[in-house]
Amino acid sequence: MSESTSTNTPKPSSSVKLVLLGEAAVGKSSLVLRFVNNDFQENKEPTIGAAFLTQKCSLPTRTIKFEIWDTAGQERFASLAPMYYRNAQAALVVYDVTKPSSLTKAKHWVAELQRQASPGIVIALVGNKLDLTNDGNDTAGESPAEADGEAAADGEEATGENQEEQDVATGDARKVPTREASTYADEEGLLFFETSAKTGVNVVDVFTAIANAIPESSLKSGRGAGAGTGQTSLGSGRPADDSRVNLGERGPATAKEGCAC
Amino acid sequence: MMQWTSFVQKAQSLIDPANFTLPTLASSDHNPSKASLFRQQFRLPDSQNPLQEITAELILPIPHTSTSHGDATRNLDRAGNRYAGRLHLSERFICFSTQPTSFTPSSSLAASTHWAGQTNGTGPSGNGFTIPLCCIRRVERLNSLSHVFSLALTTWNGALGKQQNPDFVPQRFTIQLAGSRQACERFCDGLKKGLRECMKEIENLRVVVNDCYSEYLLSGAKTKAQNGETPDARQPPDAGLGMMFRYPGDARKLRDRSKMRLWGEYFRENGRNATLIRQPTFHKLIRVGLPNRLRGEVWEATSGSFYLRLRNPKLYTDTLSKFSGQESLAIDEIEKDLNRSLPEYAGFQSEEGIGRLRRVLTAYSWINAEIGYCQAMNIVVAALLIYMSEAQAFFLLSVLCDRLLPGYYSTTMYGTLLDQKVFESLVEKTMPVLWEHLTKSDVQLSVVSLPWFLSLYINSMPLVFAFRVLDVFFLEGPKVLFQVGLAILRINGEELLDIQDDGSFISVLKSYFSRLDESAHPRSENPKLRAITRFQELMVVAFKEFSQITHQTITEQRDKHKDAVLENIESFAKRTSIRNLGPDSKKLSMDDLGVIYDRYYEVLYDRQQRDKLLEEERRRQEKKRVERTSILGPPVDREIGRVGLGPSPTHMDYDAFRDFLAATAKWAIADSPSPSRKDSTAEQGYNSFRGWGKTSSLLNNKPEPTDHEFMQRLFRKWATDPNEGISLQNVVNGLARLRGPRDIMNNIQYFFDLYDDNGDGMVDREGILRMSEALLFLSRRGFEGTITPTQSVEDIRAHEHDQDKLSVEERFLGSVSSFIRRCFEYADPSHPESKAAEQQKETDDAADKLGSFSIGDDDEEDLIDVDDDSKSTSSAATEKPAKQDPENKPNPQHNRAMSQAANPALDPNNPLHITLPTFRMVILADELLEQFFDAFFPQSFRLSDHGLHVLASSSLSSNLTTFSNIGTAKPQLSAVSGASVAGASGGIVPPGKGLRGVLDNIVSDGIRMAAEVKKRMDEAQRELERSALNRDEDEEEDDDEYDTRTGAATASAMAGGISSWGAGVYGADPERRSVRDTDRDLLEGAEAEVISMRGKDDPSLLLDDHPTSPNSNPAPNTHNSPTRSSDQHNVISKVEFDS
Repeated sequence: MSESTSTNTPKPSSSVKLVLLGEAAVGKSSLVLRFVNNDFQENKEPTIGAAFLTQKCSLPTRTIKFEIWDTAGQERFASLAPMYYRNAQAALVVYDVTKPSSLTKAKHWVAELQRQASPGIVIALVGNKLDLTNDGNDTAGESPAEADGEAAADGEEATGENQEEQDVATGDARKVPTREASTYADEEGLLFFETSAKTGVNVVDVFTAIANAIPESSLKSGRGAGAGTGQTSLGSGRPADDSRVNLGERGPATAKEGCAC
Repeated sequence: MMQWTSFVQKAQSLIDPANFTLPTLASSDHNPSKASLFRQQFRLPDSQNPLQEITAELILPIPHTSTSHGDATRNLDRAGNRYAGRLHLSERFICFSTQPTSFTPSSSLAASTHWAGQTNGTGPSGNGFTIPLCCIRRVERLNSLSHVFSLALTTWNGALGKQQNPDFVPQRFTIQLAGSRQACERFCDGLKKGLRECMKEIENLRVVVNDCYSEYLLSGAKTKAQNGETPDARQPPDAGLGMMFRYPGDARKLRDRSKMRLWGEYFRENGRNATLIRQPTFHKLIRVGLPNRLRGEVWEATSGSFYLRLRNPKLYTDTLSKFSGQESLAIDEIEKDLNRSLPEYAGFQSEEGIGRLRRVLTAYSWINAEIGYCQAMNIVVAALLIYMSEAQAFFLLSVLCDRLLPGYYSTTMYGTLLDQKVFESLVEKTMPVLWEHLTKSDVQLSVVSLPWFLSLYINSMPLVFAFRVLDVFFLEGPKVLFQVGLAILRINGEELLDIQDDGSFISVLKSYFSRLDESAHPRSENPKLRAITRFQELMVVAFKEFSQITHQTITEQRDKHKDAVLENIESFAKRTSIRNLGPDSKKLSMDDLGVIYDRYYEVLYDRQQRDKLLEEERRRQEKKRVERTSILGPPVDREIGRVGLGPSPTHMDYDAFRDFLAATAKWAIADSPSPSRKDSTAEQGYNSFRGWGKTSSLLNNKPEPTDHEFMQRLFRKWATDPNEGISLQNVVNGLARLRGPRDIMNNIQYFFDLYDDNGDGMVDREGILRMSEALLFLSRRGFEGTITPTQSVEDIRAHEHDQDKLSVEERFLGSVSSFIRRCFEYADPSHPESKAAEQQKETDDAADKLGSFSIGDDDEEDLIDVDDDSKSTSSAATEKPAKQDPENKPNPQHNRAMSQAANPALDPNNPLHITLPTFRMVILADELLEQFFDAFFPQSFRLSDHGLHVLASSSLSSNLTTFSNIGTAKPQLSAVSGASVAGASGGIVPPGKGLRGVLDNIVSDGIRMAAEVKKRMDEAQRELERSALNRDEDEEEDDDEYDTRTGAATASAMAGGISSWGAGVYGADPERRSVRDTDRDLLEGAEAEVISMRGKDDPSLLLDDHPTSPNSNPAPNTHNSPTRSSDQHNVISKVEFDS
């Protein structure tokens, strides 16, 4: 729904197009399902091309309606991805904390988005399947998120710094240390979370943090900014949207490297 | 009436002979070949080719089974069963179609449209048959009217079963051939031949037909079993999971029983499965939806997968058992999706259903590894398995992937993206208003329509309706998907014009799909209208309103958009793969990586193309049509040559690598247009020459790659596993080390490592000679200004002496020459205890071979002279650097070790080697060599920084005229490893050969000399020492005399006849240049190595540890063997080295 249809609500409402990317079987669809339906299924229907879902996210000042494009993870579907991240204002790049290769793949996606997606896209790096690690088995309130300051959502308690040492010592299923991913996220100016779609840990927080990170200006101009420019071919879509989020130093970098290929 | 129409049609097909004489186009062309169109038309396997064709009339008998229905119109229909059309013969099939023009590009016969019942397009949509020749029991020539050539065909239809009814009437029909008597005879001959050859297939037929539900149905076993008459009657064949878990939908509502009866009747009159004849009723029956138990069988027949199964009925089970227990990526991926394929269907909540799904997907992933497994295949196969046995589904999946959905499930999914583009353009064409709205609202159609196509509407529509779409799809082909898609949009057009974003777009269609079973006109007064469901409406709109969408339309649109789609995919693939090249690739610029990527794949695809052409050529020469070895898999006329088309070759073999190098570096281009490599060289090491030469030069005017040991070394160095070949990653890593930040030390080490075969940090005698050979090889096309010798004193002097003609190239030859000399001078003896015996033997062998050449007396003399010169120049020249370093402390004991090594260096009996520090020193000691490694060597690999081809070709020609001898000189050099240098050419430079020819010979002489030295070592040694003594006093003057000598020596070399490395001794004076600070860093590093090496030396040498003051070079000399000045300059060099 666009803003026009929800004028009766006191808070301003706006749509945000969000795309999920990541290696197969890291739990993209499950994250969305948890966020949208607060549900978890062991055998989720396979995602062909992409699945589309919506969910509202209420912030103190406004309501964000996420239009979520959940993409297929199989490697060969990657060439379809440009179709889905086109015009996206936010992206969830998901990896599996028990599978190091999935973080590598996630980094590739981040690079792809920074180059090819809308400038100023808000990217969150999400390590899923926290339930398979010891952190996930601990108290649910604990969050290993070490994202940018703004990313820390309401009610989140800061976590102990010595978590990583625990991971190593207890030998749980975790293969990607929190610090490794968070350091990378900091370097690239990404939001960072570790979640469990199964237990629900941190799932809503990811979306809340993204909602907070979307700049007001980008919402004002709406996602229709690129409209009227004509149908773009697959993968080359790039709206003439000047609004840019200054997350880290990515803004200039994106502009610089934009046409390298 | 029917007869009249058939007459009209016949006439039309006769007047239009052009339809059949279109030129056959090459498969690489956009237009598919006639053979492939023929196969498409009749759904034949790829092995089939159109052999014979003739205009004919099919005359079907009046149905022998009297129907219970007294329907007058139906009887009339049947009475008129004469069809004009075209009769075709392939290797194993006889086909007839009333659509004579459907597989020529311009099919638009109104009459055929009428006959095909609006199904103009490919596929067996026309009336007629596709009958395997093995099904034909008998052919009779009818003696009817004298001018008509009639054949009566009797088939095995229904006659293969064990028990036969006494009143069994075989299927028999007549074909009247229309054509000249000759043409008819020719056709008959072809038919006879085919029939004979296909006799043996009858066993396959028996097996395959037995799996068909129609056989069971018509045998009457079903009724008997139901009546309990014969409880031991045969079990019904597997008609899918539906038999166990119920078929989707309400059978009564679907009127399954009456459909079954209608089909039973049709089969009785027109034959079933293999011997089915298509009449208009056939198409109508399919349009109303197939009955559950026959669905699988009819899909199989209409799609043509039946014929694949007939060809190799056991392929499915064989494949499963062949690969049983093996693992693959595809299997992992399949496993992930098994539980999520049509989970709402009971059969797939059971182990039985999941097991079947697993087996079919796995078997297919083995048989077509290029596709492997793609998500969405699980859904499609799950759907098929509800109605078919595993084997049937397996073959049908193959037809889907290869023919019906080309490229959909490939690793790039280009087919999917292409058809989305086609669909978008069709929407734009047929519904411009809606299209404009979607564009304005920034809604991308394909995000919605992609799953429709990819999973054939199966997870978009309720299953019952999706299967109705599939019924038509298998009969009429891919255009059905487009027609249905367009119809969906048209029906929902009004609502879609209101939507603003993707979300509402999707929800409109979702709700439409969920109400497909509702009445399309719920408020209509007319009960008949009210009874029409939304799905029926959809079908009508799809096939009536969009009847103009034909296979032809789709083909045209695909051609139109193909390039753009592939480019998109390729740029994506390029981006991705460049990004994934790892940390080393960061040393190269984005442009460079792009160039490497493009060049890499260009070479690979060129190779593929060549292979293909050669293969075709080979076949042509063999003059027989080779049937495909595998029954399934990618189509024979599949296009290759683009990344976007699917899995690409990922590794280069050595030949491809040569092509790559030739496109990258000038030195890798062959000297003469026809490669010097001969078949005789094929056995050597990596040479896998397969005689491309001519073909490749015909194909394109790309530079022909040469072959050189250096390139082989590069190949081995870059490849992770040389047997596997070189991957893009290997190439990038290899180039990144050279083309990264400018670093001469790195480049020198790189080169050294190439020749350090066993990685022990040493290069032996042979290696040194090979290095120098490589230096010559690399430099033979000039330096293009990357090397500029400083205008030193000698140059000025040279001018004075009228010697200004020495080019950089020529001076470089001198540098290479002195390189060899120095290497031998400074070489260390190999440690005898390590692998003396082994190495000794090798060296001896090599030396024996080399030594077997006859060497004239002149050579011997030269040898001695050379040594004289070399000693003097070196010792003189090394003074200076030594002086520059006041903290220089030569280690006498070390010096002694070195000095001892000096002379044995030339003795093959004492294996020797140089280490990296020595090599570095020798390189840095020469300005030209230093520049060579600093600039030329890395820059000779051209990436994005130069317009390569222009440069290469222009300078190539100029070089060729200058050094016209290279082409002939090279083979000798590269043949050295085989020790087959012709003795005669070894030392003699024919007049007219350039300076380079001289030096080339010098190198081979060097190798020869090494052997010679072995024989005459004692003698040479003595003379060496004697002359060394004489030389001692002359050292100081050498500097002054040097320049004149340089000129003289080179000049004499040019005159020819000098067959030693004497010329090199007079090369540019390398020691004159000052040592750079960066160089010092290196030398400091090298010190450690030297010292550690020294530790292994004889402990007695420690006694000689006297500090040496700078500028007093002779000092250590007095301690050690003072009589040998050759020792002295060794010492000095090492001092410099240690500093």
